[in-house]
Amino acid sequence: MQDLKTRIVSRTDHGPGLFSLHCFAPNLAATIAAGQFAMVGVEGRSRPFLRRAFSVANADADRGTVEFLIKVMGVGTQCLAGLPPGAEVELLAPLGNAFTVSDLSRGDRVAIVAGGVGVAPFPLLLRALSAAGIAADLYFGGRSEPDLAYRETIAPLVTGRVLISTDDGSRGAPGRVTDILAAELSAGTVYRRLYACGPTPMFKTLARMLESAPAIAAEFSTEAPMGCGFGVCLACVLPRPGGGFLVSCKEGPILAPARVDWAAC
Amino acid sequence: MLSDLSVSLGPIRLKNPIATASGTFGYGLEFADVVDLGAIGGIFTKGLSLHPHAGNPPPRVCETPSGMLNAIGLQNVGIEAFVAEKLPLLAAKGVAVFANIWGDEEEEYVEIARSLSSAAIAGIELNISCPNVRRGGMLFGNSPEATASLVAKVRAATDAPLIVKLSPNAPDLVLSARAARKAGADVLSLVNTFVGMAVDPENGRPRISFGTGGLSGPAIRPLAVRMVYQVHRALPDVPLWGIGGIETLSDVLEFLSVGASAVQVGTANFRDPAVSGRLVLELEAYCRDRSLSVSDLIGRTP
Repeated sequence: MQDLKTRIVSRTDHGPGLFSLHCFAPNLAATIAAGQFAMVGVEGRSRPFLRRAFSVANADADRGTVEFLIKVMGVGTQCLAGLPPGAEVELLAPLGNAFTVSDLSRGDRVAIVAGGVGVAPFPLLLRALSAAGIAADLYFGGRSEPDLAYRETIAPLVTGRVLISTDDGSRGAPGRVTDILAAELSAGTVYRRLYACGPTPMFKTLARMLESAPAIAAEFSTEAPMGCGFGVCLACVLPRPGGGFLVSCKEGPILAPARVDWAAC
Repeated sequence: MLSDLSVSLGPIRLKNPIATASGTFGYGLEFADVVDLGAIGGIFTKGLSLHPHAGNPPPRVCETPSGMLNAIGLQNVGIEAFVAEKLPLLAAKGVAVFANIWGDEEEEYVEIARSLSSAAIAGIELNISCPNVRRGGMLFGNSPEATASLVAKVRAATDAPLIVKLSPNAPDLVLSARAARKAGADVLSLVNTFVGMAVDPENGRPRISFGTGGLSGPAIRPLAVRMVYQVHRALPDVPLWGIGGIETLSDVLEFLSVGASAVQVGTANFRDPAVSGRLVLELEAYCRDRSLSVSDLIGRTP
């Protein structure tokens, strides 16, 4: 891990309260693996006091930039939302482990399940899968249509199908993203692996579904509120089956669902 | 030529006065990418218990203005795993390691202190001031009698330099300091976190699962500076290790001025993991430019 002083090169607004920051960090852009994250801080600010954790959404080795997809949630994300191009940000990166791709074979089919801003780590993963000749279907759900604003950016990277759902039915199939996945699985669609990132209730439902589909090796990109991002403050713990906690930032954030006691989350 | 930044605190000799505080620096090795561990004055380990400890359920941390509340609950690998797995790697980095220890009962502190008798550590810091466990912890720090009894028992069990980390939540810090010193503490570190609370205005629930938590970060610095000042005035011969919201060189100078002989950088390590190494360089430059030694900076405040 390195503490990089970087500048915002550009910013893309996807919709209300959802934007991407592109930061100039050439070494990171060339080496980051899908699923890893950075702790992003703003120089000289005491509020927010702590940095915030964001998956690296994408990397452009030619431009030397990394992209973070950010949804405005509170003080930290509001502060980042107010930064103009040229502003300095600190990136502690790369942090955490990465999605596993190397054990898949050309021609394998995988599913990616994203809930809302949980779509963040998947552009980079889709590119890695595509380069390895692996077809991916993207299941992308949100509460309402604006939660899916990033689909226009990510859709061109999807080599398989894009399946959309919203809780209120304003776009795609009405209901949960796990509902459309369940329908596909019962219709006989077979996946070698399932990658997921989203809110805890989505993980809980998926973990239950996967218990009856042991052939699908799954990886969840977990997110618990992090203080430091490198295993020291012990804020971002998740309960282990059988007791005790694992440290999401250090042992994860990419975890097989069976490593977490989802019922206790 | 580099300035000599070395300082002594009773039996402890440090290459410089910049150490890192327990609970904010893991077991040290996590920082090896961004801090030259051999260049800082010392590290204090995460609070170690006789057996591994799981800690409190999440959420454990919440950000507050200029700081944070935490109730980790002393999650740690236990003394045995620390000595077997972490300490040899740390020793290889050439850093002075101070073992911060805690227990539910006096006997546990004593047993841990004994088990460290042949370990390559520079000292033991008794944590009698953690507000985030149901038993032990702060309870020993809240009464001068309990403090004295515990410190005396650990003192009798170890020859290692003994540091006692005091609680700012104690009813009378000077009384606690005096009790710890009289019972055999070589050095006092102050302060640990202040008990605080933050509540979600939407539902009225505490933001961390333990309910209350320990407040740390720059928010507590003026309180901590005042407490170091107060104890130094009352007990001018007792070496003090100042802690509380230190982020910059000026914060270090502030603590030294009011009587701390060394400092521990705490919560700042979370947002700025390289900070401790940088402070050593900045202090070195400061002393060199002014032809000062660190001892010139200690206790200047009238």
